[in-house]
Amino acid sequence: MTRASSRREFIRDLGLSAAVLPFVLNLSSVGFANPAGRKQRLVIMFSPNGVIPSTFWPDEVGETFTLKESLQPLEPFRNRTLILNGICDKVRGEGDNHMRGMGCLLTGIELFRGSVASGDEFFAGWSRGISIDQEIKNFLQQSPATRTRFGSLEFGVNVPDRADTWTRMVFSGPNKPLTPVSDPYQMLGRLYGRLKNQENMKSVLDPLLDDLRKVSEAVGAEDRKLLEEHATFVRALEQELRESNAAQNALAPPVLEAGVKSTDDNMPKLSKMQIDLLVNSFAADFARVATLQYSHSAGDATMRWLGVEARHHDVSHKPDDDADAQKKLTRINQWYCEQVAYLAKRLADTPEPGGDGSLLDHTLIVWTNELGKGNSHTLDNIPFVLVGNGFNFRMGRSLKYPALPHNRLWMSLAHAVGHEIKRFGNPDYCGEGVLSGLTG
Amino acid sequence: MSIHCTCRSLRASRFVRLAGLWGVFVCNLATAMADETGAQLFARLCASCHGAHGEGTPQEYPQPLSADRPLTDLARFIARAMPADDPGTCRADEAERLAAYIRESFASRTTAAHLGLTRLTVGQYRGAVADLMASFRTPLPRDHTRGVLGDYYTMKPDRDNKHVMQRLDPELRFDFGRSSPDPKTIDLHEFTISWEGSLLVPESGEYEFIVRTEHAVRFWLNNLKQPLIDAWVKSGQDGEYRASARLLGGRAYALKLVFSKMSLMPSAVRKKTAPEAIPTASIVLEWTRPHRVSEPVPTRYLVPHRAPESLVVATPFPPDDRSAGYERGTSISKAWDQATTDAAVEATDYVMTHLGDLTGGIGEATRETAPQLNTFCRQFVERAFRRPLSDEQARLFVDRLFESAPDPSAAVQRVVLLTLKSPRFLYHDLVGNDAYSVASRLSFALWDSLPDAGLLQAAASGQLTSAEHVAAQARRMAADPRAASKLRAFFLQWLKVEHPPDLSKSKAEFPAFDAAAASDLRASLELLLDDQIEGQTSDFRRVFLADELYLNGRLARLYGVDLPGDAPFRKISLDNGRRAGVLTHPYLLAVFAGAESTSPIHRGVFLVRNVLGRSLRPPPDAFAPLSPSLHPDLTTRQRVELQTKAETCQSCHGVINPLGFALEHFDAIGRYREQDRGHAVDAKGTYANRSGDSVTFNGARELAQFLAASNDVHTAFVKQLFHHTTKESIHAYGPQTVTRLTHTFVESGFDVRKLLIEIATASALRPRDVVVQQK
Repeated sequence: MTRASSRREFIRDLGLSAAVLPFVLNLSSVGFANPAGRKQRLVIMFSPNGVIPSTFWPDEVGETFTLKESLQPLEPFRNRTLILNGICDKVRGEGDNHMRGMGCLLTGIELFRGSVASGDEFFAGWSRGISIDQEIKNFLQQSPATRTRFGSLEFGVNVPDRADTWTRMVFSGPNKPLTPVSDPYQMLGRLYGRLKNQENMKSVLDPLLDDLRKVSEAVGAEDRKLLEEHATFVRALEQELRESNAAQNALAPPVLEAGVKSTDDNMPKLSKMQIDLLVNSFAADFARVATLQYSHSAGDATMRWLGVEARHHDVSHKPDDDADAQKKLTRINQWYCEQVAYLAKRLADTPEPGGDGSLLDHTLIVWTNELGKGNSHTLDNIPFVLVGNGFNFRMGRSLKYPALPHNRLWMSLAHAVGHEIKRFGNPDYCGEGVLSGLTG
Repeated sequence: MSIHCTCRSLRASRFVRLAGLWGVFVCNLATAMADETGAQLFARLCASCHGAHGEGTPQEYPQPLSADRPLTDLARFIARAMPADDPGTCRADEAERLAAYIRESFASRTTAAHLGLTRLTVGQYRGAVADLMASFRTPLPRDHTRGVLGDYYTMKPDRDNKHVMQRLDPELRFDFGRSSPDPKTIDLHEFTISWEGSLLVPESGEYEFIVRTEHAVRFWLNNLKQPLIDAWVKSGQDGEYRASARLLGGRAYALKLVFSKMSLMPSAVRKKTAPEAIPTASIVLEWTRPHRVSEPVPTRYLVPHRAPESLVVATPFPPDDRSAGYERGTSISKAWDQATTDAAVEATDYVMTHLGDLTGGIGEATRETAPQLNTFCRQFVERAFRRPLSDEQARLFVDRLFESAPDPSAAVQRVVLLTLKSPRFLYHDLVGNDAYSVASRLSFALWDSLPDAGLLQAAASGQLTSAEHVAAQARRMAADPRAASKLRAFFLQWLKVEHPPDLSKSKAEFPAFDAAAASDLRASLELLLDDQIEGQTSDFRRVFLADELYLNGRLARLYGVDLPGDAPFRKISLDNGRRAGVLTHPYLLAVFAGAESTSPIHRGVFLVRNVLGRSLRPPPDAFAPLSPSLHPDLTTRQRVELQTKAETCQSCHGVINPLGFALEHFDAIGRYREQDRGHAVDAKGTYANRSGDSVTFNGARELAQFLAASNDVHTAFVKQLFHHTTKESIHAYGPQTVTRLTHTFVESGFDVRKLLIEIATASALRPRDVVVQQK
């Protein structure tokens, strides 16, 4: 990874002109804007079916706390982790808790009544409002200093190919769900497609110029002028492409293992591929906001690689006194926590382009879930585990709030990027505004 | 709209190569000498402003002179108005000699137009890429069946659904109310219907699709894998879904609409529901054609067969040069080159994601499938270049890339990129002048696209050598919807409404005239033109002489006809035979009018330039029209006469105004009237033919009869259709071409479709000496 302290230096290092860069790198033309300001990025990661409170929540409040089994993988990032207990999804209305847990999670507002039924009842549709990641993305995209090519990227891991209230958590507005991209190859094409084309284009310019020369010789002087003008454009393109070589080497896309199909057994591979793409897209400044959705609300993956032969959702319904189920669910959440830790590690290992420190110094990961606890379907104590130093929150703590609505956490995120909204989602749950104690 | 606007639009004619002789001469103060020749007079009196050879001077009069006025008229004009700073100092005999000299010397300028190398226009580029891909797919069967096929099911597809019937539905507009589409077989609470077919697209542009329903719906267009509208989850009160797509005229696009009524009630509740509490069910698919308001897709645009998927290149291109009055690919730019790169990349991506479909089943590009892919690629290049490849070319454009690329997939991509970036694809007539050149010129003339398999086959078998064979192909091709689409676009351009102007009218004067009325009027005009394009007869004179027009319920009320408010368009004769085809079509009358009152100047300028084919120079200054309130007693005609009475105005307005005045019986929204501001309308007008004869007419019908029979009008129409069709200057084809084509046009009984075929044939078979020079 090339490091440079500003967009201009970056371009200079690569020998590129600003006009060429967007074509070459598939970047927004302002991709490296805001060299002076601090870059802030957000990843919201979702995993389903609640947690086992006793193996998840630290007993202590404050800076000294023990990470229990579920959160053990975050040990290397303990001082960059902030665990928020006592944040509740208080939104009610249409749908059952799995539906609301998903559709209201990032939006903080009710679902519309609609045609998605849980069993033969609880008819619900999409959320009535925008999700917080999109709210922040829109805010960042407004300003040239923070605008990026994509603004936000929606990653999925094994999200089934069906659109309903359980499979969608990101909304660009009321009734406007966004589909996460679960196929890493599709995401790769989206991020880097033109790079491949560019390589091909470069290879055909010589024959093209030969051809132009040949046909020029066959026409009259008047017409030859037009073809000669044409040839100058082709040579200019050739020049631009030649100058881009360095850039390609600097930000080469990750090499993905070929042919990994979207199956439960491939989840670990798919997860790694998507995280690698996510980190790359941050490093290239394709986007400042990302979501990473594993499975879906009431997700029923069978995680054999963890030795769990039953479906996650089925296991999550087992009572608290089923020790085997508790153990399995703890293991499952620990695996998800490992994914958070891998993401954090990749970010920490990647230097911040044009800035100090690593990507993790400029990124906040929020790991969350549609339920607090699987067998009770409670929307209280939704897990919110924050990792990274992107948002000026004081990390390295375990906090406990007195059952406050999660809308206030989302407002806090918006404020942390300078977007000082007075309410988010249903105003009834915005109470006294941002959560206290996050920064101090 | 104001006169100022007229000036601005006329100013564009400065750039028309053959700008008119309406010049402001400036006097040279040298003493007049007796019996100077026309050339001497010109050098002494005119050249300082018009240039030694009438080419114009940048400071005084930049347009080159031509002489499309009658000789006597020209002489009179010179005697009266020239030189501009001292008019009237030219003796009558001097003016005559000057006029004759100018006619002789500068009228011939027009034959010197060079038939240079041109590239595909943007429209041709999009058409060619679309049809290139389409050539690898099974075409849509063409028949006269209209409507879509509906499959009816008793339940949602993801529960137990049961197919109960299939039928041909003429439209996608249903109101089932609280009942079932078929009470005997389909439960009224929950049912699903899937309609499939294709959409016939009349013109190129951005189309908006609107689905309205209380229930779940999905709508696919062109790409049947990815819905354009996905409202399968019914959520909240939303009942209207919109999406847009760019479509190409004369092509068909597959469509599918799936609708599902759901009760949104637990089944136990549903069973006990009172009949009046059962939710209603309705669905309609509307479209908004370019520059129209939305309407349910009419039956005549729906067919019950599935069209193959088609590529519509989305890459934006810079607009083509239109300075000659028609789009031409005469220049290139960096932006254009960049667009061809981006579009080639777009097409490459498309080929790779549709490889199996395009190659007839080669799913993946591998070492094993490389030989078949090589064959596909060679076909691809040949079709794009419109001619077979020599062995050497096959090596250059295909084989070498397969050898050098890292894998067969990259090889295919490189072939597609190189092909679509090659001048052999991007330019017309670049190599050779053989049967394949004839085939290309024919297909671009009629379709703005590549030759099809039949035409290439004809070229290969040596059938395109005689005019007879070429004309036979042209006749076959003229029946294709792409030709109709091109002709439709031409008529709109001829009528100067290809880019719809703002039609806002004064709310005080015309309270009932709104955007819907404006859109309806455009639809009404296009229906009239469709009769011309697709109807039984294609007699050009009917464009002026038809006394009927299409009205729907909304328009009927506005134009004083008794029709139900929701009546669809039908042909109606109104105002007791006073109507005269497009001349009195309310859309054009409203377009060429102000917000409050008529504008005889706008109407006259339209008639002079577009219908009579004469050029006008821009007025020396921008003028706002005199406000009616300043002269409350004057009719519009009198106001216009007052404002343009100055000699400098009369040089043009002497021709413009009397043509426009003939339409004064129609107000600013095209309604018939007897009175204007309390005075009886005076609709008398005159026109001096190119031959010098003066014609008079009273009112629109007499004007229409004159125009329908006017050789000037016929010639102008032939020229303009030639330019639109070939995108080349007719003058480059020699002075006899326009005469011959006009003669044929008259002989055919003014058959527009035959004229199109004649033009396409003539341009396809143009003689070798005017072909782009070959080494």
